[in-house]
Amino acid sequence: MKLRVAVIAILCIGLFCSFQYLSDQGYAQGKKAAPAGKAVAMPKITVLNPMGTPPPIQVKAMAERPATLDGKTLYFVNTGYIGTDRLMAEMMDWFKKNYPKTNLVLRSGSMSSITPALQAEIGEKADAAIVGLGH
Amino acid sequence: MPGLRIQYFRGPVWGKTNEQIRKMIVEGNNPITGRPVVQELVEKLTKPLTAEEKKTGELKPPMGPATYTGTPDELQKLFLDNRYTDFMPVILPTEEKVAEMLKGTSHKPEEPLGKMNPQSEAGETWSYTVKTAAINAVMAGAKPEYLPVILAIGASGQEGISVSDNGFMSGAVINGPIRDEIKLAYEIGAVGPFAQANTTIGRAWNLLSINGANCGKIGTTYMGTVGNPMNAINIIIAENERDSPFKPLSVRRGYKEGENVITLFRGWGILSAANWKADAWRNDMNYAQIIKDICDQQGSMHGCIAVLSPPIANFVKEAGYDTAEKFTEFVRQPVSVPTTDALNRIYQIAGDVVRPQGTGLAAAPAGPAAGAGRGAAPAGPATGAAPAGAPPAGARAGGPAGGGRGGAGGGRGGFGGGGINFSVVVTGASNNNYWMMGGMAPGAAIQIDKWR
Repeated sequence: MKLRVAVIAILCIGLFCSFQYLSDQGYAQGKKAAPAGKAVAMPKITVLNPMGTPPPIQVKAMAERPATLDGKTLYFVNTGYIGTDRLMAEMMDWFKKNYPKTNLVLRSGSMSSITPALQAEIGEKADAAIVGLGH
Repeated sequence: MPGLRIQYFRGPVWGKTNEQIRKMIVEGNNPITGRPVVQELVEKLTKPLTAEEKKTGELKPPMGPATYTGTPDELQKLFLDNRYTDFMPVILPTEEKVAEMLKGTSHKPEEPLGKMNPQSEAGETWSYTVKTAAINAVMAGAKPEYLPVILAIGASGQEGISVSDNGFMSGAVINGPIRDEIKLAYEIGAVGPFAQANTTIGRAWNLLSINGANCGKIGTTYMGTVGNPMNAINIIIAENERDSPFKPLSVRRGYKEGENVITLFRGWGILSAANWKADAWRNDMNYAQIIKDICDQQGSMHGCIAVLSPPIANFVKEAGYDTAEKFTEFVRQPVSVPTTDALNRIYQIAGDVVRPQGTGLAAAPAGPAAGAGRGAAPAGPATGAAPAGAPPAGARAGGPAGGGRGGAGGGRGGFGGGGINFSVVVTGASNNNYWMMGGMAPGAAIQIDKWR
């Protein structure tokens, strides 16, 4: 009999503790309103900005544009991404039909950059350039 | 570059016929403005520069204050709104928690750790310190004892989230006693989120990439067409060196046995290999050949990796490949694969450097002539399927597994290139015959202990 009472008492205590635990969890997660006189204030804390540092960006002025494409040299640069060759070919066909007085030049670059030599050539010989990225 | 005149059109270009390119792209509309592409192109070529476009000088992006103050709920929302997170709640990085994290290394908080960009030379390369990595490690839920591993990753400059429309993910293989020291999982569930170390190291890598290097921002630094679920925490693999019949990956890459080394990978990820081939569930499984078949079928552009459980690795060993090097040579042996326009076009991207020899695939046509791009498909001689069960003679030499430090192939971090870029890693438990395969290539290997 004593053993039965002891077991029931332990179970009751365990149940009470569980309810208390769940109750505290409820307040902590904001699911329950705190009872009067037991307000749970959310303290303010200070945390650190997690960001790294970007490089400063040097802004370059864009190249002056020609007023018209007639009589001008227009470069097309194929950057080598898959399908860009055919995209450039179709674009050049369109310009041939619609801007017959424009000199069209096709060059190949690479996916990641245009060589300094090609940049220099464009700067020297082109009035405008379309650098193509298909893919 | 502010002011750069960019013309958008409805992609993708590849996979379209010339007629489709003409009608859908050249003669089509800009999907953003709705205006004809060619009309906008001509305007961009001829319209005078605006005052804004003529500006020069230096731009410094606003980075926000050094600290934020608020209630935990407010700060969680702020971190989410500022895109400091991976869209999951984070451990808020208080000065105290970050100081505790920094106890995991002897390096000074303000020491420059590395530079990183979202795998695009056209993008900006950000820099970050040891403290930046520690802050992000706290946010990920990492412990101070994991910090040397996280710093080793950060020092590599290898991004966790690539910009690529491929939807790449990142992975790492860890060798050495640190696996037990920090309780990395390498038995049941080894490549999944079933240990704090594996999970939070992978997450810290991503958070450092997001915050330290501006990775993973959709539309600018992230363009994965369908994304990749493995971007969540990456794949952090601790090799099961105890049960593996092969030398640890780090040793095969030139490091000493017992050295703590992390080897980074990038690619599409890994999948269970059991269902890659129909009716492959047999009593007499030739695992070596099945692995080779999968590698041959999937191509090598971004590497082929076999993540074997110990039983599968031991089957491979018993088939005659008692070293990973011999097995790698077997897998890299040339075979005949179907010649398709698609494959030719894929190899055209990277040129002959990644074209498997003996595949019958034509060399990429020289020059960007219209209508070109699809190599003719000569009937190349099939160069011998590998004999099953024995290491072949005359296999191609080299390969990542036999190579030295620094990874296979070219490119930043050594990713890509070099024929079938095959790697084999052993991890997991021995409770069944499962293994995984995927498209991942190894990159840099870094010593962890120098970041203690």
